[in-house]
Amino acid sequence: MREQLAALREEGLAEVASAQNGEQLAAVEVALLGRSGRLTALLKGVGRLAAEERPLIGKLANEVKAALSQSLAAKQEELAAAELAQDLAGVGLDPTLPGPPAPFGAVHPVMQAARDLEDHFSSLGYVIWDGPEVESEANNFDALNIPADHPARESHDTIWMAEDTGPERFCLRTHTSPVQVRALRELGAPLRVVAPGRVFRQEAQDATHEHSFHQMEGLVVDKGVGVPHMLHAMNSLLEGVFGRKLETRLRPGFFPFVEPGFELDARCPFCKAGCRVCKGTRWIELMPGGLVHPHVLRSAGVNPNEYSGFAFGLGLSRIAMLRSNIDDIRWMMSGDLRFLRQFPS
Amino acid sequence: MKISLRWLQEFVDLSDLTAEQVGELLSLHVAEVDEIETVGTAIQDVVVGEVVECGQHPDADKLSVTKVNYGAEEEVPVVCGAPNVRKGLKIAFAPVGSRLPGDFKIKKAKLRGQASWGMICSARELELSDEHDGIIELDSNASVGQSLLEHLDMSDHVFELDNKSLTHRPDLWGHYGFAREFATLRQQALKPNGVQQDWPAQQSNWTIVREDDDACPAYAALEIHLPSVPGESPAWVQQRLLALDQRPVSLLVDLSNLVMLELGQPTHAFDADRLQGNTITVRPAQSGERLTTLDEVERVLEPTDQVIADGGQAIALAGVMGGAATEVGDSTTRILLESAAFHAVGVRRTAQRLALRSEASARFEKSLDPGLAVQALHRYVELLQSIVPEAQVAQAPSLSGCFQAPERTIAFDPVAAAQLLGIAVGAKEQKRMLEDLGFVIDDSTSTWQVHVPSWRATKDVTSTVDLVEEVGRVSGYHRIEAAPLLAPIVVPAQESHRLLARRLLQRAVQTHGSGETQGYSFLADEWAERLGLAMTDFVRLGNPVQAGVTLMRHDPLPTLLEQAASNLREFPSGSLCEVAKGYHPSAEGPVESRYLGLVQWAPKETALEGPESLFGQLRTLTADLLQVAQLPQSQVTPLCAEDGDLPWAHPVHGLQWKRGDHLVATMARVHPALARELDFRKHQVACVLLDLSALAELDRPAVVFQAPSKFPGIKVDVALSLPQAVACADAEAALRKAGGKLLDSLLLFDLYQGEGLEEGHRSLAYRAVLRAPDRTLSDKEEQKFLDKATKAALELGGQVRG
Repeated sequence: MREQLAALREEGLAEVASAQNGEQLAAVEVALLGRSGRLTALLKGVGRLAAEERPLIGKLANEVKAALSQSLAAKQEELAAAELAQDLAGVGLDPTLPGPPAPFGAVHPVMQAARDLEDHFSSLGYVIWDGPEVESEANNFDALNIPADHPARESHDTIWMAEDTGPERFCLRTHTSPVQVRALRELGAPLRVVAPGRVFRQEAQDATHEHSFHQMEGLVVDKGVGVPHMLHAMNSLLEGVFGRKLETRLRPGFFPFVEPGFELDARCPFCKAGCRVCKGTRWIELMPGGLVHPHVLRSAGVNPNEYSGFAFGLGLSRIAMLRSNIDDIRWMMSGDLRFLRQFPS
Repeated sequence: MKISLRWLQEFVDLSDLTAEQVGELLSLHVAEVDEIETVGTAIQDVVVGEVVECGQHPDADKLSVTKVNYGAEEEVPVVCGAPNVRKGLKIAFAPVGSRLPGDFKIKKAKLRGQASWGMICSARELELSDEHDGIIELDSNASVGQSLLEHLDMSDHVFELDNKSLTHRPDLWGHYGFAREFATLRQQALKPNGVQQDWPAQQSNWTIVREDDDACPAYAALEIHLPSVPGESPAWVQQRLLALDQRPVSLLVDLSNLVMLELGQPTHAFDADRLQGNTITVRPAQSGERLTTLDEVERVLEPTDQVIADGGQAIALAGVMGGAATEVGDSTTRILLESAAFHAVGVRRTAQRLALRSEASARFEKSLDPGLAVQALHRYVELLQSIVPEAQVAQAPSLSGCFQAPERTIAFDPVAAAQLLGIAVGAKEQKRMLEDLGFVIDDSTSTWQVHVPSWRATKDVTSTVDLVEEVGRVSGYHRIEAAPLLAPIVVPAQESHRLLARRLLQRAVQTHGSGETQGYSFLADEWAERLGLAMTDFVRLGNPVQAGVTLMRHDPLPTLLEQAASNLREFPSGSLCEVAKGYHPSAEGPVESRYLGLVQWAPKETALEGPESLFGQLRTLTADLLQVAQLPQSQVTPLCAEDGDLPWAHPVHGLQWKRGDHLVATMARVHPALARELDFRKHQVACVLLDLSALAELDRPAVVFQAPSKFPGIKVDVALSLPQAVACADAEAALRKAGGKLLDSLLLFDLYQGEGLEEGHRSLAYRAVLRAPDRTLSDKEEQKFLDKATKAALELGGQVRG
């Protein structure tokens, strides 16, 4: 028995030492010390030994078991360390291999611009409001102080609906400005509102002209509202669009529905010394605006002696083109996935 | 609109400013300058030279061989073909290395064997005039070597402004109006525009009849006699016109243009000897009346056009262009000078109808100050007599109508103005600004009475806010400091369909990988017909952008299909979606609804049915979007042939989702015939359409949380072998019924057809999870479910597979 135990010890230690990995080691452990392992099998013969032999053999068996267990534990640690070292060595995974393709998904760049600005203005307490694209002549022109004989009303500028479209004359709205009047009528003063949407002009298409495009109108009406408030709203908007403060300046501009009317220029965000976008001037014209004309307030049922307001307009298509350096507006309505897929949501 | 800096300086002193600074003042206070052009850059290399030797070319009759001194160390040989080249002549010389208009570079050359180092220039080669009979002959005292620009005293800057930014300012269509702006901005005196003439006492021989006071509120005519035919304008007149892109014609015509560019008022000189009678009538044209205009085109007129007529016939198109028959010419020594006011819209309509936009019509369109009409006569005569001192005004002008814009006085509160503008500008300063611009102010009360000058009263300044603008822009808008709104923020109203659109679109894009696009709102008639849509059911355009594209789309699907088809070459599979308005006619006018449309395509080989199929994916997508829209409990029914109003859809391969009577979503394969026509030959294609306006109107309850059961559920797999004709939905419904309240979830996990099944059957394998909220289920309850399922399968004509 002694010899057998000694042999088990020697052979066991050798087997542990020769184990190449965790699995082999586990198998060795089971074979040596498991419920039906060699040690257990050997010890079954203890009963046949002389009584005085038994404690001695028992002690020896415990020694053997302890030695094997110790060796197993040490080997386990050694193997784990080797495995860790191998893992850390970077074997088995090429990090440059691509993963599976993500779901495609893209949001149209103009809609992204609209969304960013809607979020921006929502956070400032503005209502986001919508208006119809087929608009009455009364709302698109009359209410906005555009004279009956103004050239913009003529068919070379405006797309009119067929005569039998309804009880009055309808056109495709030429700007989002009619929503000024609509929102004021529906929601009343005081009011802060922005209205993004599609607008239409009778226009031949080329790289910079499109008959269907997107604008966003802004309107604030309250007591004591003046030009400084308009400038603040416009500046904050540009900060929202371009992600940083831009130097701006106001210039005179003319639009029948505002008085005084302005153009807002911003320092070209793309250059420091003049570029293609700013045509070398370092300023880009970004936003028309002005104080709401009393005629417009009256059209919307608001008393201009009590309230004043400002309005501004922004070309969403233009903002999207500026943001992403899109050089031809015709991409916008192309539905071409080679274009759209470049704008993940 | 082009403005010459030199010309401005005749009325206001800008000598301390650079052209850029002047341009910036214009942009910041008046209207945006598009471009500043330096006059003469194209000929800046040309210098004054002298022909010091001149002889015949040995091998060419028409050429001369010269030596030219142009101030360089050596005289250079130059071959010249002009007949007027001669020894001692001072010339405009382009030396070797210089550039001429048209980016033409002068190089050393040989002409018929003779060296030629430079070019002696004609006026036309330098684009100074059309003259090309010979080279320019400069004054004999011109100093050799001086730059030609300097010698001719031509240096100038021209500001180009976008006409659109001036449409509201009738006073800014000539230099004098701009000079007034600068005088105000810089607090300088504005020099007067010429001297008032003393008219002869003798009454005019001419009678003026204005038939329509609206169409022609004022008309003035002045007869002028010349001692001889005046011919060409002097160089300074020509240069002034050329700098502003006006072609010099003859003195009498050029002076009209000069006065127009200065004051903004067009005038027209008729050859008085070619007029019949002594009456000038302004009247509507007769229908079909013909008039040959100065450009030698015969125009057929309509009663909406106004004409000027003499005793015989129409002699000019009022406010647009003179007639050819009465044009001043090579024999004119007696003119009748017209200066009038015409109705802005009438002139624009005529010019537009005849596609004849002239400098005159462009100005009359802006509602010019009628006061300018008389002022222009004075200025014309002054200029003419400065060039032809013997020119005589024959009689006093004949004046008909009112030469003054309507009187207008506006109440104005300077304190309120400063507040509105957010500029600290005092009442005194505001008064100074307005007065410099020509307004007359009564400030005896705190609210002023401001009288508008004639040149601003025709349309531009009508109310208090117009005066606020004047104060603001003269002060400078760049002085305004931004300030946040101080009013309290109230909870904003929301439009549910807009929010819903945004949420669903985001889901379609992010979860289902669709690409959002934008398509035109228009639909070609032919397209609608091909789609089988009822042509009576559309909102129609009156003046479409493109012939044959006259309809407003009902929903985004037709355009999506078109865009999808154009992507097939690059993308064998893909998905496009759009949130868009659809337009429907009604008696009250068009009704707009918002839709989410989605088109998806995949290669033809893709399975037709099942979870991997295009149809399966879109069904999942649609159900998912409705779930996101908080509308999971809608009924799904397959399309049937009776749903005939979906001509683009396959007759039966489609589904509709309804909530009560409201159709909220439709999903279907595109009709195979249509798909083929649209070039989806190697593809499957299907569409989804959600009516967001309808959806937004529905009651969409928030999700109600249900606490998960603490007890384990039992998974039971059951496969039903059923005849093909039994719809999956029916099998599922039967199993749901069998499960009753205990059924926690039911999932189809396998679909099989083939060996081991009865002929004409397929196998639908479901995994059901049974669970109770209050206990662990027993084996008996599982068996009960299986028994019910078995019975249901039998009722459906099949059985449960072992």
